[in-house]
Amino acid sequence: MFDPTTSRPRPLGCGVGLRTPHYPYIFEHWPAVDWFEVISENFMVRGGRPLHTLTRIRERYPIVLHGVSLSIGTTDALNFDYLTALRALIDRFEPAWVSDHLCWTGVGGRNLHDLLPLPFTDEALAHVVGRLQRVQDFLGRRIAIENVSSYLTFRHSTIPEWEFLSEVATRADCGVLLDINNIYVSAVNHRFDSIQYINAIPPARVWQFHLAGHSDHGDYLLDTHDHPVTDAVWDLYRHALDRFGCASTLIEWDDHIPDFPELQAHADRARRLQEQPHDRAHIGADAAPLVATDHRA
Amino acid sequence: MTALTLAQTQHLLWRLITAPSGVADGLRALGDIGGGLPDGLESVVNGDPRLSAVRRLDIYANMYFFRLLDAIKQDFPTAVAVVGPDAFHNLITDYLLAHPPTHPSLRYAHQHLPGFVSEHRLSADYPFVPDLVKFEWALVNTFDAADAAVIDPTAFAAIAPEAWPTLRLTLTPSLQLLPLDWAVLEPWQRVQNGTQPGAATFRSTRVRTWRRDMRVLHREVPAEEFATLTAAARGEPFGVLCETMAAHVGADHAAVRAADLLQHWFTDGLIVGFDPS
Repeated sequence: MFDPTTSRPRPLGCGVGLRTPHYPYIFEHWPAVDWFEVISENFMVRGGRPLHTLTRIRERYPIVLHGVSLSIGTTDALNFDYLTALRALIDRFEPAWVSDHLCWTGVGGRNLHDLLPLPFTDEALAHVVGRLQRVQDFLGRRIAIENVSSYLTFRHSTIPEWEFLSEVATRADCGVLLDINNIYVSAVNHRFDSIQYINAIPPARVWQFHLAGHSDHGDYLLDTHDHPVTDAVWDLYRHALDRFGCASTLIEWDDHIPDFPELQAHADRARRLQEQPHDRAHIGADAAPLVATDHRA
Repeated sequence: MTALTLAQTQHLLWRLITAPSGVADGLRALGDIGGGLPDGLESVVNGDPRLSAVRRLDIYANMYFFRLLDAIKQDFPTAVAVVGPDAFHNLITDYLLAHPPTHPSLRYAHQHLPGFVSEHRLSADYPFVPDLVKFEWALVNTFDAADAAVIDPTAFAAIAPEAWPTLRLTLTPSLQLLPLDWAVLEPWQRVQNGTQPGAATFRSTRVRTWRRDMRVLHREVPAEEFATLTAAARGEPFGVLCETMAAHVGADHAAVRAADLLQHWFTDGLIVGFDPS
């Protein structure tokens, strides 16, 4: 599954997130998508339709397990009940790899069910790296960690987000799931340069891309996964392909979910961009920022 | 101000995000108990003319509440239809203060709601809603309960007659047994039919929910079946099941009625094993 020359997983192509409303279509048509990404927690159940469905899907497609509750950044102790459930899922469904988010989701034994940003400090860096190493040891595999969208930054942060993410990946020896939409959303919300972010991430660490839509709330962008991928995010994706090559790409859509063919069309568009590099407007590291830091300027 | 540690930062944000009336009120409440921020939230979170620190954190506070509300509403559609969206919203506001989620999966965020709602003031206006919530929660638990293969009824043919009194049945893990005071299947069925829920009749109602293959099923059952099934679920031997039945239908009819029930339970896929010892 992993390419020994690059230590990155071999690309799976372009896939979509597995969502309940699409089950009937998938089972009727077995559509030609390259792979499905599966929310791990939705299948941490004892039995019934969820596991039965995933078993059928797995018989035909590669899958990646994508978690939302690892809470790698929390100062609570690691939750080994959760990790044990995750390991059981891994053993049963043999995903190509496993991913979660560079964030915290709760503290004091309580769960916020959201992806909260970390202060980018030396303390947080050491904390996250140590926990990632323990998680990877427990799971017996390296995992990929995803940059999240954020709506706030901390006064006591001392490290740019892109350096923080790169340092986490390098020190913990893990992969990066680079969410292109999240970079764009956070860049607008915090007025940084998306291109600078992408250019700072070590290519050898990037295992996968996420593409998704967001909502414009006037004063800020919200990572809602309920719209088509915007042109600005497609442009940023082209730049990411130029820098990182054809890593596996996944279209996320979680609300106002369209019919499967529309979702699949997005994955097909990503695939065309991967397969036809001459169609990609090259944007070099020295070029002007592709995405204005204030999109309403 | 000295920079907060990671743990201090997280506990502060948790408290403000979960404050029931928003981040600004949460900050005032912190000040009232001596844990406030003398220099305001801007001493921790960056704000700018476009979005203040409080507004930025309020984005998370709103997402916290509405993500949970939406998830819970999906699992209690009849209760929402009965009390209306505003009253349900207020119920969940109170519930999350009493029972903030502790489980990594959103699926368990409302695991305490059946107990909570029976103590909530809403149940004064809608006395059948606690039973309704119990029923809808049972459907959720049945949906993803552990799988278990139904046994072949011919397996019983090999059991000697003298072994029957000590035989213990193993029931499907998806089985839920609900003794209810209200006939809540009435409003539930009306909502399923796309009509207004109306109210439930005050009538002792015994319901079993279970899963056959992937289908979630439920049925109102008579008192003698409910009592016998409850005894079987406790692991009582078949002899005790017959005694339980006899207490309801009389000793003369108990054996025949128990045999009938056994057949029904097989047909419904409730029996997944037995222990003849």
